[in-house]
Amino acid sequence: MGEGLRRYFHSYLPAAPLATFRLAFGLLVLASVVRFWAKGWIEELYLKPKFFFPYYGFEWVRPLGPYTYGLFALCGLCAVLVAVGYWYRTAAAGLFLSFTYIELMDKSTYLNHYYFVSLVALLLVLLPAGRYFSLDSSLNPSRRRNQVPRWTVDALRLLMGIVYCYAGLAKLNSDWLVHAMPLRIWLPAKNDLPLIGPLLGQVWVAYAFSWFGAFYDLTVPFFLLNRRTRAWAYATVVIFHVLTAVLFPIGMFPYVMMVAALIFFPATWHERALDRLRRLLRLPEAAPQAAPLQYSPARRQLLLIGLGVFFVVQLAVPFRYLLYPRELFWTEEGYRFSWRVMLMEKMGQVQFKVVDGATGRARLVNNYEHLTVLQEKMMSTQPDMLVQFAHYLRDYYARRGVQSPKVYADAYVSLNGRLGKSFIDPTVDLARVSDDLRPKPWILPFDDEITGL
Amino acid sequence: MKKSLLSVLTLLLLTLGIFSCEKNPGGETVEPTTGPDRKALLTQWADSLIKPGYQRFNGKLTTLKSKTAAFTTTPTTATLAEVRQAWQAAYVEWQKVELYEFGPAEAVSLRNHFNIYPADAAGINRNISSGSYNFELSTAIPQQGFPALDYLLNGIATGDDAIVQQYASSAAHRRYLTDVMAKMDQTFGTVYTQWNGSYRDTFINNSGTDASSSLSRVINAYSLYYERYLRAGKIGIPAGVMTGTPLPTRIEAYYHRGSLPLLLATTAHATVQGFFNGRPGQPSLKSYLDAVGAKDSRSGESLTSLINTQFGVSAQQLSSLGPDLFATITSRNADAVASYNEMQKAVRLIKVDMTSALSVTVTYVDNDGD
Repeated sequence: MGEGLRRYFHSYLPAAPLATFRLAFGLLVLASVVRFWAKGWIEELYLKPKFFFPYYGFEWVRPLGPYTYGLFALCGLCAVLVAVGYWYRTAAAGLFLSFTYIELMDKSTYLNHYYFVSLVALLLVLLPAGRYFSLDSSLNPSRRRNQVPRWTVDALRLLMGIVYCYAGLAKLNSDWLVHAMPLRIWLPAKNDLPLIGPLLGQVWVAYAFSWFGAFYDLTVPFFLLNRRTRAWAYATVVIFHVLTAVLFPIGMFPYVMMVAALIFFPATWHERALDRLRRLLRLPEAAPQAAPLQYSPARRQLLLIGLGVFFVVQLAVPFRYLLYPRELFWTEEGYRFSWRVMLMEKMGQVQFKVVDGATGRARLVNNYEHLTVLQEKMMSTQPDMLVQFAHYLRDYYARRGVQSPKVYADAYVSLNGRLGKSFIDPTVDLARVSDDLRPKPWILPFDDEITGL
Repeated sequence: MKKSLLSVLTLLLLTLGIFSCEKNPGGETVEPTTGPDRKALLTQWADSLIKPGYQRFNGKLTTLKSKTAAFTTTPTTATLAEVRQAWQAAYVEWQKVELYEFGPAEAVSLRNHFNIYPADAAGINRNISSGSYNFELSTAIPQQGFPALDYLLNGIATGDDAIVQQYASSAAHRRYLTDVMAKMDQTFGTVYTQWNGSYRDTFINNSGTDASSSLSRVINAYSLYYERYLRAGKIGIPAGVMTGTPLPTRIEAYYHRGSLPLLLATTAHATVQGFFNGRPGQPSLKSYLDAVGAKDSRSGESLTSLINTQFGVSAQQLSSLGPDLFATITSRNADAVASYNEMQKAVRLIKVDMTSALSVTVTYVDNDGD
């Protein structure tokens, strides 16, 4: 290990950035849970549907019927406990497990920022964010630490950096840069907004947004790291995310990113913010004497190895699409968990046909009798979900007396302004196709090329 | 570092700007400066299609109501013929407004009260003999509206004399017919009043593209109508494509039969196509899609021309099922299946390519990009 690196791993920062991050993050997750509940989405997404699309290897994760409300309540409770720092590590673990369980229940609700929340919650289990400005530390002052190893704060910054850079890399493709797709389709639909509306109908604006978006994602972590550019960079973070919140139905994502980016601010800024909060809540002043958190060597080693593995996985997973031979946007093999956000206008329609293996009698399936609008929309463009639904249909019709049912799908998909075309081979019996991570040869060719990453 | 990156970006943007400027004079259409005008489109729909459509339907429904009253007052073969004729005219006119199942019509589930078939003949007979029924119950959906009138006027007994005799001798029958008619009149009246009242402004001012916007609701209703109630309801289900066995008794206006079922279907199809194209020179789905430059990027053909071509093929295949749809499904069902398949191609163009090009949102749930 080089001397510089050695020094780095032994340098300390005030614990304030971890504390404000913990507080803000906990409150945001709580707000997400409350919003989700208030909009009636628990019932709509997890209680009403008859069928759910599990993730590969997590088929056992299912909604819990009416207890699903309890699961959300638990998640919200853990978020509050994380925010105030009470039973911190248990609460962080509870938050990670409950939130991740919720996200694994149905693929059709997948969102990149839910994945981000899960990852941050996992990091928070490992990081010493409950030692300062927390209930734990005021109830048990011997546990209080106002200095933490620098790498514990940098871990969160690194995760943010990965999210932004990978989102930027994903934009370096010909659809985004050369054709300004899909913004060229999405922006004119917002041309009645006040002030900027009239601009959004113009093609050059779609190009400007595309190029600026790619540039922003690729560079903003570095500008946030640099002391001289930080204030301006944060201003663009706010403008950029407010703009995306106005233009697109992406829920909490802009707010999560705006708040999470505060981790780049210097420790003194966080200490001032916490001081102000103390005065506001009439809490006692922070004790001035230094109390650094010193891990035992073994514990430190273990934590660093854990974080190392975590980040190697984070850096590698988005590139797993290289293991698949064909166009990523078309097949979506290796698409999720890769910070590919707002890259595709993809729409599809699929007609399933179930054939009785004994009599040859064929019947067509009304998808809406089995799936919600959201599920049908998501399934019709994602091959892994098409297989899962085909298997559900096979079992459903077998129960209703169809002998060894064969399931065929006639799917039609359009991508980024290209006229739709047949998506999967309508002669392949999906009832007999296995649902796994191998390339899916029955996806029909894209017949076009998108160059880039 | 920052400066050089910025200047590279500026340079790239400038280059792109020049490229895109160069392309424009060569292209057939110049991009409009601010993009499509949704409010103008919604205004056109409200004032030139929906309200006049409802007005014409209201006229036919009023006639049907008075002919029904005349028949129940004096049941004769002459008054029966007149009420049948009024029923047929109103049924055809209904095909021109059934697709507007959004806003007030959606709120009262207008279609459920007007045109869910096949009629539940056994249920209707039970209602008549018991004399107690509630048309708001979901079980009562196929016991009312045009399909119920079809059964009551054409299928309740064999032969016109027997039908007339049935009504002449049974007050319960007269009452049920009157009640079905009154329910239709009342339900449609709510919708008609709202469109002539404040809903028109609500409709045209909700000009966004999110899931609650007028455009999104219209597009959802439009593609749902074409897919489920025209393609599947009028042809697919009777032709047996859903179940594997032809079910000719599931056709619309089954008790009347003859050329009417196909006339209803072709009228509906022409309405869908007419709604897409609008009036020449006026805002329409067609002009909107042309304004956003929707085309097949592989061949360069405009999406509106592709859709119209497919509508044409599909309309032609549909009209070849005449004159008697029931006979066609019984004797040469393959043609009906072929007609279904052509409509399925149009469904895809509407549901996938058109909806995508319009960039309307179909769900309320968060989405970070498909």
